[in-house]
Amino acid sequence: MTQAVGSTPETLVPKRRSRYLRDRQRAGFLFSLPVMALILAFLAIPIVQTFYQSFTAWDGITSTWTGLQNYQYLAGAPTFWQVVENNLVLLASIPLAILIPLIVAFLLNEHVTGWRFFRSVYFLPTSISWVVIGLVAIRFFASEGILNGVLRTFGLGFIHTDLLSGEGSALAAVIITFIWSVFGTNTIIFITGMATLDREVYEAARVDGAGAMQTLIHITIPMLMRFIQFAFILTVITAFTALFSLIFIMTQGGPGFATTTLEFFIWDRAFKVGTFGLASAIGVVLFAVVFVIWIAQYRILRSRTD
Amino acid sequence: MNRTRQRVNRTAIFLILCALVVIMLFPFVFMAMTSFRSYDQYLMGSGYSLDSWTVLFNTIPVLQELINSSLVTGAAVLLILVTSTMGGFAFAKLGYPGSSVVFLLILAGMMVPVQSIIIPEYVNLSQIGWIDKYYGAILVYAALGAPFATYLMTTFYRGVPTELVEAALMDGASYFRIFTRIMLPLSAPAIVTVAVLQVIQIWDDFLIGFLFLQTPDVRTITVGLATLQSSRMVNIPALMAGSIVSALPAIIVYLIFQRHLVRGLTMGMSK
Repeated sequence: MTQAVGSTPETLVPKRRSRYLRDRQRAGFLFSLPVMALILAFLAIPIVQTFYQSFTAWDGITSTWTGLQNYQYLAGAPTFWQVVENNLVLLASIPLAILIPLIVAFLLNEHVTGWRFFRSVYFLPTSISWVVIGLVAIRFFASEGILNGVLRTFGLGFIHTDLLSGEGSALAAVIITFIWSVFGTNTIIFITGMATLDREVYEAARVDGAGAMQTLIHITIPMLMRFIQFAFILTVITAFTALFSLIFIMTQGGPGFATTTLEFFIWDRAFKVGTFGLASAIGVVLFAVVFVIWIAQYRILRSRTD
Repeated sequence: MNRTRQRVNRTAIFLILCALVVIMLFPFVFMAMTSFRSYDQYLMGSGYSLDSWTVLFNTIPVLQELINSSLVTGAAVLLILVTSTMGGFAFAKLGYPGSSVVFLLILAGMMVPVQSIIIPEYVNLSQIGWIDKYYGAILVYAALGAPFATYLMTTFYRGVPTELVEAALMDGASYFRIFTRIMLPLSAPAIVTVAVLQVIQIWDDFLIGFLFLQTPDVRTITVGLATLQSSRMVNIPALMAGSIVSALPAIIVYLIFQRHLVRGLTMGMSK
């Protein structure tokens, strides 16, 4: 039994008190019923089903228990490992998605003329759907696209790029687009963090003759660690679980499987190929990955506050 | 000497930030400029017209899709607000045996990636015939948004003094009355934050709409736009016009409620 939240008024006599408690608990149960029902039906039951079906061959209508077969198949499938590798490349790009906003937030924090306007503009892509971002990104990276136009304008026409159709480069195009999109969000997180720092520390550093770079590395970054961690986790989760639409629009996971990540692979195996059981197994893998990331962040935050 | 150096520094920073504005605003300028060109004008790179907007409205049912998006987003956000404020009040101020375990389980719902539940969800809803029905998508959106919303509301209500609830009880108010007359008005700022976050998220979503609302008469604008891209239509200016139509409502919400959006983002941090 868990202790009820809140405290009981001490002025009440014991008998009324127990009635009061019972009423309160009944109200508590009734008030939380809608949200429990909603989450149970459309979130909890489906995730349990995903776990169960990951041990079956399932086509959406009939499912047969096959034990660990889906997982064994995945472990031996080169495609799956290519997909995992794509996720790792995505992960490896996260430091850039943190570092650039960190530097820009540092610059914004100097409060030069118009910094509020700059902040608003940088944050704007947060409100735009991945579909729209993807649609523009295709025109940007296309063979006859904007990027090549810009290169030509600057007399660099000999560098002709066609990132989206190259197996080795398509993921880079997706990553660049991704970094562009999360830039504003992370910048805002860091600015919020910097606003909580003590300005006197900066003054002291300046008096001691510390340069901007030294201040950033030795003072700002260590003091912002909590915010950096938060931004890091948020960006990883976004990269692993929110890029489906961007990939769908930009590359459809291709060329080959060059831009297929775990989350895209689930959709691909389920709704394009029809192997629902196998897709469920990938769903379990993705859930496990996300779960580990969340737990890691929780433990790190805990260890810091203790 | 030092002062001039500082001024040079600040000018440099200003210029860097301006360059970034160009990079960040460029796609929006591209969308707007391109949409006001016909396909031929786009290829030639000169001239302006409204042709592509006509093409867009003749190719997909833009108005119907906007109505669908508004309907689905509005209903889902309303459902999220009702369930999360009620739940938040219960978890923060009322409680019952096992309520903190239930709360933890709801928080765990924040960790579940959409793709990890989408297959059974789709099969379940198609078995009971809820595909291509507004309420199917609305319930899925609501369930996906509810855990974070409930977390934010519970955190908020924990900050409300318990004495307020107790005093009202002494005066003979029912829990329902306490909820509607005291808790809801107090939590208006948190409610706006949750609403803004969810409106943008659901309006911009593609995957749920793509799977659960497939026919053109119930399709949302984001999905309509994506199908335009994957159909054989290569009319880029019309696609850009569609992008503007789909993005504009979210941009307007962003411009009005920017502060709330920032707060919602950083409120997620105080875990």
